[in-house]
Amino acid sequence: MKSLRYAAAALAAAALFSVSCEEWEPVFTLDYGEADVYEPVTMTPNTTIMELKALYSKAPVKIQDNIIIGGQVVSEDRSGNIYKSLYIQDATGGIELKLGKSGLYNDYKLGQWVYVKCSGLTLGKYNDMLQLGFADPTGEYETSYLDVQYFIDNHIFRGEIGTPLQPKEVAAKDLLKEENLGCYVTLKGLRYGSNTSNKAGKEIFCLLYVDPNKDTKASSNRIFLSDSGLNYSVVDDPTWGITTWAMSKQGMISYLKAGSFDKAMVNDGSASVADIKDRLIANASAYAVSQYFLMDGKEVQVRTSGYSRFADTQIDPAILDGTATVDLTGILTVYQGATQFTLIDLDGVTVHKGE
Amino acid sequence: MMKRIAASATALILALALSAQTYTGGVKGTVVNRTDRSAVAGAEITLLSGASEVARITSDAEGNFSIPDLKDGIYQLIITMPDFLRTMVNVTVNDGYVKNMFKLSITPVAKVTEVDDASFSEFDMDDTGYSDTPTILFGQNDVFNNIAGYNFSSVRFRTRGYSSESQDVYLAGVKMNDAITGYTPYSLWSGLNEATRSKETVNGSEVSDFGFGGYNGLTNISPMASSVRTGWRASVLTNSSLYRLRLMLTYASGELDNGWSYAFSASARLGGNDWIDGVFYRSFGYYGSVEKRFGDVHKVGLTFMAAPGQRGAQNASTQEVYDLMGDNMYNSNWGYYAGKVRNARVRNTHEPIAILKYDFTPDNKKLTASVTALYRFGKNGYTALDWYDAPDPRPDYYRNLPSYFYMDNTDYNRQNYAKYMWAKEAWETDVPSVTHIDWDRLYTVNTLNTTSEGARSKYIVEERRTDQRDFNLAANGKWYAADFLTLAGGLSFKWNRTEYFKTVNDLLGGDYYVNIDQFAERDYAAYPTMIQNDLDYYLANGQAQILRQGDKYGYDYYANVRKAEAWASGKFTAGVFEANVAGRIGWSSLWREGLLRKGLFPGLDNDGNPMYWNGSVITTYDIDGKAITSYGESEKKSFLTGSGKVNLSVFLQGGHRIYANAGYYVDAPTFNQAFVSPRTRNTIVPDLKTVKTASADINYAFSNSGYNVRVTGFYTLIKDQSDLMSFYDDSQNSFTNFAMSGIDERHVGVELGFKIPTPVPNLSVQGVLSWGEYVYTSNPTMYQTFDNSAEIIASTYGVKIPYWKSHPGLDGKTKQHYVAGTPQLATSLGLSWNKNYWFIDADVDYFGNNYLDMNPLFRTDMAAAGPDGIVTPEEIDYMASQEKFDGAVIVNASIGKSWYVQRKYQIGFSLQMKNITNNLGVRTGGYEQTRLVDNTVSKERYYRFDSKYFYMCGANYMLNVYFKF
Repeated sequence: MKSLRYAAAALAAAALFSVSCEEWEPVFTLDYGEADVYEPVTMTPNTTIMELKALYSKAPVKIQDNIIIGGQVVSEDRSGNIYKSLYIQDATGGIELKLGKSGLYNDYKLGQWVYVKCSGLTLGKYNDMLQLGFADPTGEYETSYLDVQYFIDNHIFRGEIGTPLQPKEVAAKDLLKEENLGCYVTLKGLRYGSNTSNKAGKEIFCLLYVDPNKDTKASSNRIFLSDSGLNYSVVDDPTWGITTWAMSKQGMISYLKAGSFDKAMVNDGSASVADIKDRLIANASAYAVSQYFLMDGKEVQVRTSGYSRFADTQIDPAILDGTATVDLTGILTVYQGATQFTLIDLDGVTVHKGE
Repeated sequence: MMKRIAASATALILALALSAQTYTGGVKGTVVNRTDRSAVAGAEITLLSGASEVARITSDAEGNFSIPDLKDGIYQLIITMPDFLRTMVNVTVNDGYVKNMFKLSITPVAKVTEVDDASFSEFDMDDTGYSDTPTILFGQNDVFNNIAGYNFSSVRFRTRGYSSESQDVYLAGVKMNDAITGYTPYSLWSGLNEATRSKETVNGSEVSDFGFGGYNGLTNISPMASSVRTGWRASVLTNSSLYRLRLMLTYASGELDNGWSYAFSASARLGGNDWIDGVFYRSFGYYGSVEKRFGDVHKVGLTFMAAPGQRGAQNASTQEVYDLMGDNMYNSNWGYYAGKVRNARVRNTHEPIAILKYDFTPDNKKLTASVTALYRFGKNGYTALDWYDAPDPRPDYYRNLPSYFYMDNTDYNRQNYAKYMWAKEAWETDVPSVTHIDWDRLYTVNTLNTTSEGARSKYIVEERRTDQRDFNLAANGKWYAADFLTLAGGLSFKWNRTEYFKTVNDLLGGDYYVNIDQFAERDYAAYPTMIQNDLDYYLANGQAQILRQGDKYGYDYYANVRKAEAWASGKFTAGVFEANVAGRIGWSSLWREGLLRKGLFPGLDNDGNPMYWNGSVITTYDIDGKAITSYGESEKKSFLTGSGKVNLSVFLQGGHRIYANAGYYVDAPTFNQAFVSPRTRNTIVPDLKTVKTASADINYAFSNSGYNVRVTGFYTLIKDQSDLMSFYDDSQNSFTNFAMSGIDERHVGVELGFKIPTPVPNLSVQGVLSWGEYVYTSNPTMYQTFDNSAEIIASTYGVKIPYWKSHPGLDGKTKQHYVAGTPQLATSLGLSWNKNYWFIDADVDYFGNNYLDMNPLFRTDMAAAGPDGIVTPEEIDYMASQEKFDGAVIVNASIGKSWYVQRKYQIGFSLQMKNITNNLGVRTGGYEQTRLVDNTVSKERYYRFDSKYFYMCGANYMLNVYFKF
């Protein structure tokens, strides 16, 4: 009887001990309370964005110094036209952060202050456009994406959400000035057209692949839609009938089926689009398109991603036939010395008819 | 009734008065174990005449008993034996003869295996379409099942390699296997162990007299009041691998003099565990049952029970993640929320079962029959994160891992070592926002996403619901036609309508969510009708529905199943021979009924005309020209099925038995194999066929004076199975549906179970061996379609999967592929000591030949070839090979003791210690991700994504303290 009592006591003690273990409570009630709300970070920049940009001369610069820049968010990837990129702007200028995440607008709000501890980041150029990113040891590009979350968390800090900046109005002569590149700008009085030697005076640019899953650098896999054909031959319609800002996969299939690209040639001259149309439809994908505009005689390529939500939106016919002018608001960039313009969404297009 | 008692009492008084008188009548027989027909020695036999006891004796070593000197009349014979159910039969003694009852079988009560719950721990197999429901072995006095059921559950052992669906589980005579999936439904009453303890079981293809069963045995659980062990029983259990605490209280009245029986049980399983964070229980159980006997002939009973509650699920991860965390028990399903562990994947169920049962036992006892009506209903929910146009929040998403940034093989195009080091550091130092779900971020994103309607949630917790309405009617009967012949049979009907839908479970700080299909939006952002989950709502309101907490969204459809079945069996005995035959015919019908019109597949309008939007036709058509339809009823698929089996047994003197079973089964496919993409459309899988199984086994069993041995050889062929899954196909850059048909398997092997006394008193050696070869014997046909358009993918539609059953190895030999999910070699050897209510068991187990579940995509030429379309032997061997897990040795022990207090109360405990050597490297399952690394430098080949694994817990204990009174 005595041993029985001891045994019972020992068992009861064991049961109590195991019940009191500390992980017991947190997973038990399913009542988790309130989430910890994000606290904005406050930091004091010690360098302006233009001072940072000035550090670049010819080659990518890996920043070692304790440089902190700060700026307000001026871009948004909500419409999908900007992808894995965040533009911030301070009083001196703007810069592109190569933040390699999708849906950045969920974490970085228009007008929000963002501070970057630049030490460990790399400043580099992509076809003349300065970008702040991570080093690319392969040397293929001057920078690579900032896409390790832990690295981002240690270098990029989100501050107060301020009032979104108003766009800077930029004149034609200032389009390529560094202080305007990467900024949120308005360009006024643009008219559809280009300085092409083609008599049409209108132009688009688009690069298609026969199979986007294969080598995209092989000439046998590339089809250029531009103002000139193979061996710089003159094309009939340098707009290739593209009347949308870009083309989604469905949009591309529609153009192919309509025969718009039939005369375009694979870059090695092996076939025309008409010859391989079934294959192109089977491998269809979304493609970016550059629509050319003129601003006081200077070309502005409005480049739109095929993955943007307005890719298949028809451009106002009054724009395309040259009877209307447009004001464009978005991000100003440069590509191989030419002005490129990125719409944040279609609210950035204001049409002036009959002017 | 009263009259009869009065008459009996009078008779008794007369008998007492005339006690000097002797009679020539009597009753004799042999008590045998119902399961294996072995003799049961020491059973207590009580003979009642009316309410008074006439005799009380025990059976001898051969199970024989004899009660002489009985007057003519009707008696009640009650057999009781520890660990067996109390059994009662009526005996008529007439004309002064000794009535020979021959074999009186009694049903064993299962050995208390309290680890059942381990088999229900929730595994998240979401990415695959494969399920991982275990089969459960009951230690139903079969020496193999007894030991294997206890020792092998932690490695998710499956008898003879069969799937869970093949094991038939009945409740009060009604087949309970899930109407939609066929899975065994133990979780419906888990936690009600005491109330559902009474069960009868047959193995393999054996014939039973309580249902037809398949080739993987049949278990019939009796959840009625009179079957529950009489008295109070309370227990407290704690364990370290599942939940902290289980409390259980059960009472059963037994049958009272007035014919009533009642029983109730309540239980709670609560808390987390030592091994896997995020896995927790907050589960309860309740059970109530009443039965009333009307005379000797009629009995009516009603049972109501459920096991409601919440259980946190575990997720598989890649070995890279486990290595980074230094923990094979890492679970990616949870994150810290206000300092607490919050799991995103929680099962939330409350599925009651109501049973009305009528038993008919006419006076002559030649016939017993029962009719059961059973209704299962309630909710079955499973939460998960859902998100819209925002980054994947799962911590072990492949782009968050170091391997995404650097691989030694340069062909992967991952060469940024500095990024690799940053990612590695975050994982190795266990930065919570990286290694777990970052709930705070999800809340911040939602609350900051302000719109004119309020904060639009980008991340929510959804609850996927599978709410069953399952009505069953079953009638079963048994007729002792003659001493040598028993006939049994039954009819059953099942009506099942299961509603599948999602609800908004938690807006995570936001105010609303929107009912659109984010996956359709990726392809059709410019086509507003196509991204609608509920097109009719959009057409009526001009915008998608704004969703609040609790709203249904996404998909909503009924799965309808109807089944009718008739079965019969006959048992013939002739001397030492026994033969059983059984047959079954069945009819089943299944169809889908969409409750929402989905934008991608609007089908025809209510008048049968194509649908238009903005002047264009939005109805789409399949290759046969039929409109692809999401709304309304699909075609009804009906199947006629039939099965038959035969058993032959020889009982030899001294407790030897040799028996053989054979059966052929034609079974209908289940609903979950029948529709290409049931969430979105009515399209039925091409080539939907019945499954054909031929199975045979031969057995030798020996049971006598403490020896208990069974040896079995089995051979089973399964033909024409189907499977279905949906996954993102990197080679198509699209989400796809993938159906397979014509999957054939062969299961061959041996089973051995033994328990043998040693010269040391009270000490036995016990062991089991299950050694088989479970292989695929066909290359199934695949049917791959795009999820968003239902268009077929020509190269993988109606084409054989060339490397499914095997693939050519680099050495020129054919490499066989195996059925996964169970070790094909499992052994256990141990000692068992029993004395004076003490027991101590210890054993060493070895598991081997366990294979990883294959995904079919890796067995296609497309995947092997890579972007260049050229298939090389090296590429085939790399892509199609099946992983074999390392063998594992596990040591377990248990100890227990019970005490009787004042002969009225019993108190006891059992302590089980599993995996004592703390072996942390035992893979118990997992799956291959159906994803390909396609962005290679060479553009010549694809690489596999890493596989995901589950591991067995390290050293763990379970302590159970119980009290009976």
